[in-house]
Amino acid sequence: MIQSLLDGVLVGAILSLGAIGLTMAMHILRFANFSHAELLSIGAYAALVFDGLFAALFPLLSEAIGPLSLTWALAAAIIVSMAITAISAILIDRVVFRRVRALGGELSMVFASFGVALVIRNFISLIFGLKTQLYSEDIVFAVILSQDPLLLVKPDQVFALIAALIIMLALHLFLSRTTLGYALRAVAENPTLAEVNGINLKRMIAVVWTIGGGLAAFAGVSYGLTNQISPVIGRDLVLPIFAATIVGGIGSVYGAVLGGFMVGIAANLALVVLPSGYSPAVPFLIIILVLLVRPNGLFGEARA
Amino acid sequence: MTLTILRQGAYAFGLAAGLSALGGAAMAQDCTTKIGAVLPTSVDWGRPIAETAQFAVDQANEAGGVAGCRIEMVLRDTQVDPKVGVDAAKALVDLDGVQVLIGAVSSGVSMPILTSVTVPAGVMQMSCCSSSTAFSVLAEEGKTNGLWFRTFATSGVQAAVGAMVARDDGVDSVAILYKNDDWGQDIGKLIAADFEALGIEVTASVAITDGQPSYRAEVTEALRGQPEALYLALYPKEGVAAVREWISLGGTQKMIVANSLKSEEFRDSVGLQYLGDTLGTDTASPRVSSADTFVERYTARFDGPPAGPGLANSYDATMIALLAMEAAGEGATGAEIAAAVPRVTDPEGTPVTADAAGFTAAKDVLAEGGSVLYQGATGNVRFDANGDVSAPAVVWGFAESGIEEKQYIPLEDVDAFMATVK
Amino acid sequence: MIGVISYFVFFATVASILAIAVLGLNLQWGNTGLFNGGVVAFFGAGGYATLILGGTQQADHLGGYDLPYLLALAGGAAIAGLLAWVVGVLTLRLRHDYLAIATFGVAVTFESVMRNAEWLAGGAKGVRGFERPFREALGDGFSYNILFLCFVLLVGAAVYVFLERLIRSPFGRLLRAIREDEVAARSLGKFPDRVRLTAFVAGAVIMGVSGGLYATFYAFISPQDVLPILTFQIWAMLIVGGAGNNRGAILGAFLIWGGWTASGWALSRFAPVDVQLYTGTLQFILIGFIIVGMLMWRPQGLLPERLVVSHSGARNKHQQGRKE
Repeated sequence: MIQSLLDGVLVGAILSLGAIGLTMAMHILRFANFSHAELLSIGAYAALVFDGLFAALFPLLSEAIGPLSLTWALAAAIIVSMAITAISAILIDRVVFRRVRALGGELSMVFASFGVALVIRNFISLIFGLKTQLYSEDIVFAVILSQDPLLLVKPDQVFALIAALIIMLALHLFLSRTTLGYALRAVAENPTLAEVNGINLKRMIAVVWTIGGGLAAFAGVSYGLTNQISPVIGRDLVLPIFAATIVGGIGSVYGAVLGGFMVGIAANLALVVLPSGYSPAVPFLIIILVLLVRPNGLFGEARA
Repeated sequence: MTLTILRQGAYAFGLAAGLSALGGAAMAQDCTTKIGAVLPTSVDWGRPIAETAQFAVDQANEAGGVAGCRIEMVLRDTQVDPKVGVDAAKALVDLDGVQVLIGAVSSGVSMPILTSVTVPAGVMQMSCCSSSTAFSVLAEEGKTNGLWFRTFATSGVQAAVGAMVARDDGVDSVAILYKNDDWGQDIGKLIAADFEALGIEVTASVAITDGQPSYRAEVTEALRGQPEALYLALYPKEGVAAVREWISLGGTQKMIVANSLKSEEFRDSVGLQYLGDTLGTDTASPRVSSADTFVERYTARFDGPPAGPGLANSYDATMIALLAMEAAGEGATGAEIAAAVPRVTDPEGTPVTADAAGFTAAKDVLAEGGSVLYQGATGNVRFDANGDVSAPAVVWGFAESGIEEKQYIPLEDVDAFMATVK
Repeated sequence: MIGVISYFVFFATVASILAIAVLGLNLQWGNTGLFNGGVVAFFGAGGYATLILGGTQQADHLGGYDLPYLLALAGGAAIAGLLAWVVGVLTLRLRHDYLAIATFGVAVTFESVMRNAEWLAGGAKGVRGFERPFREALGDGFSYNILFLCFVLLVGAAVYVFLERLIRSPFGRLLRAIREDEVAARSLGKFPDRVRLTAFVAGAVIMGVSGGLYATFYAFISPQDVLPILTFQIWAMLIVGGAGNNRGAILGAFLIWGGWTASGWALSRFAPVDVQLYTGTLQFILIGFIIVGMLMWRPQGLLPERLVVSHSGARNKHQQGRKE
């Protein structure tokens, strides 16, 4: 039981990071972006490329950090990957979503995002092949926290959790203490009024994509570190991330964080009750349950 | 003037005829026969299966083609979507006029193709990997018209051998991780029953569904009963994810795996150091050197041994189909080709190897009216009345150089074991 | 030549079956504004129920009631409607995007249940053993396919006529009113929730009919047939064809399914040999580009919704269609 809770929290951290970016984009840009999870793929593969590059150029960096399987090269690659993913997100918005936004309604954007997701996923599989890859082939053994009840945690997952929490804290400070953060919240609340007050909407949109892309990249790398890298990371994670976003309520960053952990925990606890074959359905059962009780998600607000 | 041209024409013709006669069979491929292939090329495990089928076709062409014509394999992707696969099959049958269809891999795609395309059109369908027992039922009901074959050895044998391995190892409790599709569900049930019959406790039987981001919960559940061994019926992608998770959580490294994990990708991604106590099951190659030629040629062509789900089966499926086409002769219909399959898998026939030289030898034998025993990558393939294959078994393990065989179990022993277990 | 005709009959049958599902979706989205992300659940419910009701006895799961064909089809549609009623009652009051995800979740749950509950529908092995009607008389070949196509076209025509009548009827006006301005409709004493539920269920019944036809055409259904990709395909057909327009729905179905199959065929025929292994991936990229391109160029679809202005008691029977 406790193990399941623990597992859920660790898995949930990755979902939370993805969900934060998605909820911001969904709220400010007003559409369900099914290609958001592909940003995780882009992040994971970009980090793979740069990890290899850095390790080849500076062999010293191939040392693993402490008990983790994370190497210094990978850590540096993460930074680069976050930048690349942010830029990709902005580019995609500029090339596709902006045009569709101008012409069509919300549904067109959802569909365009499906199309974009298909294209990104298959381009990645053309370039990198369909086989799974790993950052590091070593299997890092879980640390035994306690013998009875048997509690195990993998160091990589703890790292991902701590790093995710730090990032979320930084984001919180950004949103609540900086001018840019205020501007972002203003745009989320009421774009027209914000523009009247002199906030550059286009710049804010770019900021949203930057944050979303950066977080997604970190989530993607964390996922690759604790599981494996394959072109279908996006396809496999898109629904749990959506579940996290919906449960938390679209537009609420804190809701997204909570939603991510909830989905992770529920997915792990569910197998205690349900037969194992039903695990894909669990995030949705959670969504339906939460929406029955609170139709706008836990922290979401009814939109006019 | 006309006479000069005629004479020149005659000379030219005579020259050409003479040269082509000298050139021999290898040159006389000025016609092309198409065969169809509907395989999931856009999935990671599907692409190598298609590559292997094409490899078999290349070897047949190297040996001079089939019934005097070059073989062209028209490949269509099924996208693991039944309606796409069925449409592709229909296009191949109606537009390309194929009489032989290789495919599909998933039972969910092979079945509708069989019922709505190949059987109505009288086209022979040969699948490497469709595992559902429903096909045997369909054949017994007489609905396949003898057109359906699969080089997939039924899961009953795999499960039985897996249970034998556990028994021989003195294992008392096992957890099962199975892939949540028709193949995995089937083999999971069969082996659980076999374990129970042997008195081995099944502590957990957990379904691993495709395309999930994390299998932590499933692995945790499997760990719960502290089993002595782990049985895996998974494909490499989720197999790697589940096993890495299992090992890092301290699960036992004593593992028994189905032939789907007989893959270098699995070995490399998990790490040889953790696979020392892992034994796998598979259908056996015959105890003759000819079986090695397939592995040799394959390794030469693809820079690696044929390890991976369905590769050997795919090769055999294609080769047998081509041999049957050769036996049935030029312009044969699907039904005639299907009827010729026993002639190329005849236990009394002349054995031929699984490569281009074997194909050439087979052509000569068949031309004289004889029959051939095709010794393929998966063994001496012999189809029963339902188009199913039983084969002897082999127990294998991972090694530096690839896969090494540990034990060979003849079909009689497997059958005897299965009888005691039922 | 006969081969080409045979193929096109087959293609037209599948495209028409899918077109019926698109018509159902058009009722839900185009006319009522309900974002149904779980199309495949209702389609699949219809398909599975039809085979279970109309099929022969199978050893390991429910079924084998061996009902006559039309009855089984109707039963399948009814089950789809029942599922829609339950889902609708629970979720229709949610807003757009939440409704989409909730219904999507229903579809995923449906597939999960079909895959795992072997006692219900055979699990991953699927449901088989359906004897197609008139098979003994006509055999399995070309003539049978023509007959089936005619039947499907008949059903499709019936659905089309029904829907066209519906949108010109008072109920159709009610749907548009609720879609455009719910508050105003409520102020006039209408019950939007009930109306939406009715439209949702009606659309789902149509999808169930489509599913039943699909399953009986192949005489087989398995969890592979009810994956989310179908929802995506049906939606793409509606978007490209034109949401809100029944003719657009049918056009979209033929175009998208035609494009999907033609791209596979063209890639296998014209792509160089070394690329053959990658055609599957390339096809997905192509499809993605087409969808995005279509949305960037003409998001209202090829045949946009025509504003129907219906005069009550008018002597003039012609509707005046205006492009929006």
